[in-house]
Amino acid sequence: MENTYLTKKDVIQINEDTFIVTFNEKFKFDEGQFIMIQTPSLTRKPFILGTWKSNIAVSVQIKGKGTKYIVFEEKKFKAHFPLGNKFIPPAGNGIVIASPTCITLANLLHEKYSCNVLIGSKSKINFELPFESVVGNEDFSKKIKTLKPYDWYLVSGSKQMEEFVLSNIESKNVFVSLEEYMGCGIGACKSCAVFTKDGVKHVCTDGPIFRRDIL
Amino acid sequence: MNLNPPLVIASGPGGSGEYLSLINPKYVGAYTLKTITLNPKPGNKSKRMENSENYIINSIGLENPGIEYVISNIEKFVLKETKTILSLGGDSKDEYIKIAEKIAPYAKKFEAIEFNFSCPNVKKGGLSILSDVNEWQEILENVRKILPNSFLIAKLSIEGNFVEVLSKKVKEFGWNGLTLINCVRGLLIKDGKIVTGGLSGPILKPIALRAIYEVRKVLKDIYIIASGGIYTKKDVDDFLLVGANAISIGSALFKDPQVIEELGKYLKGVEK
Ligand SMILES: Cc1cc2nc3c(=O)[nH]c(=O)nc-3n(C[C@H](O)[C@H](O)[C@H](O)COP(=O)(O)O)c2cc1C
Ligand code: FES
Repeated sequence: MENTYLTKKDVIQINEDTFIVTFNEKFKFDEGQFIMIQTPSLTRKPFILGTWKSNIAVSVQIKGKGTKYIVFEEKKFKAHFPLGNKFIPPAGNGIVIASPTCITLANLLHEKYSCNVLIGSKSKINFELPFESVVGNEDFSKKIKTLKPYDWYLVSGSKQMEEFVLSNIESKNVFVSLEEYMGCGIGACKSCAVFTKDGVKHVCTDGPIFRRDIL
Repeated sequence: MNLNPPLVIASGPGGSGEYLSLINPKYVGAYTLKTITLNPKPGNKSKRMENSENYIINSIGLENPGIEYVISNIEKFVLKETKTILSLGGDSKDEYIKIAEKIAPYAKKFEAIEFNFSCPNVKKGGLSILSDVNEWQEILENVRKILPNSFLIAKLSIEGNFVEVLSKKVKEFGWNGLTLINCVRGLLIKDGKIVTGGLSGPILKPIALRAIYEVRKVLKDIYIIASGGIYTKKDVDDFLLVGANAISIGSALFKDPQVIEELGKYLKGVEK
């Protein structure tokens, strides 16, 4: 794990409020892992790592001062990374169902495992993606209900989106990327706890991706 | 207690040594472990943390594996890279006494043992242990007898009673140090919802400064670890000025773990 500076290479707007931020630096990480980025806020913020056009990248949805700072203001960030566990998909055909905030992870998995990707975006996407996308809740819910069966599913988006997808897919091999407020990202502060069938787990050290059947 | 630098990682934010993979242990005077209780605690339901402009609110609820687990894995909890301060908590007088008895055979392994009398995030114990001062005094008296050779620290907050009054009792029963202060009870409103928890971060600094100032006025020779909103060299200077012997870093770790190195160098006189 490193605690160091990263520099911003590019900012690409995905839709109304979400941006891909690519970095100049290269470092080793596994799919599923995340990074804690420092902003003027009192706590670092977690972002799931991925790739975009051969660069290491995160996807940032503008939510407040901290995310504005990353996307629009600062070029150099202090951060610690990589954190969390590798996501190893089961064998067979899989699909990543994600919101634009997880687009760089979806891209990485798409390249590595040739899996399908479905991006559900609230607003129009600004450019052509290398995978399928649907815009708006209605089209998204129609698409999920008519989805062909896959051997595995990874769902990564807002809580609302995840709940909707989970309630419409019965497969055992469903994985969910969880979001809980993170103070440290390294297992120290216990702020990211989730109560599972296997007891208390921490999103930062036990996740961030969990099998649905333990939740 | 002789800490070099006189800089301590606070109980809670620092976990049980996890930050040693991010920070240089040379600048950690002592690492306080997250509070351990007699029985394991699963902690509070999420969401457990929020932050606003200049404060953090947490309601972790003392999630911890319990003292038996710590004893069975004692070598994991005694950190090799730096001195370790054990932090213990309880839900009742009996629990504080029992946990002291259980740790007694291992007490020498720790630089000091801190008793958390001030966690605002658990219903029983924590702050409420101070609501009956007579009973609390019995804890002080008994624990001192059970751990005769340990450097004993009481961690207090400003709630429960006047901190200078409580601090005098700590000294009277032969304890060696105080950590001032813990989080205080706070509330923020997020998306129209009430979030309650323990307040930490920059907003706590003037409250902690005042607490230390008042205690130092009445107790000249007790070791005081300052805790509450310490982020910068100016914060360090201010706390030393009102009489702190050591500085504790909690929430600032969430912003930048390297704050330890920066303030550690400053306290060691390596950097101005
Ligand atoms: C997430 C979190 C967890 C905490 N857990 C504990 C704990 O287990 N035991 C304890 O004595 N204090 C605990 N505290 C209090 C801190 O040790 C410290 O006294 C307080 O946060 C004020 O200092 P700060 O502003 O530097 O964080 C906790 C604080 C935070 C923010
Ligand atoms: S974010 Fe601190 S324990 Fe997970």
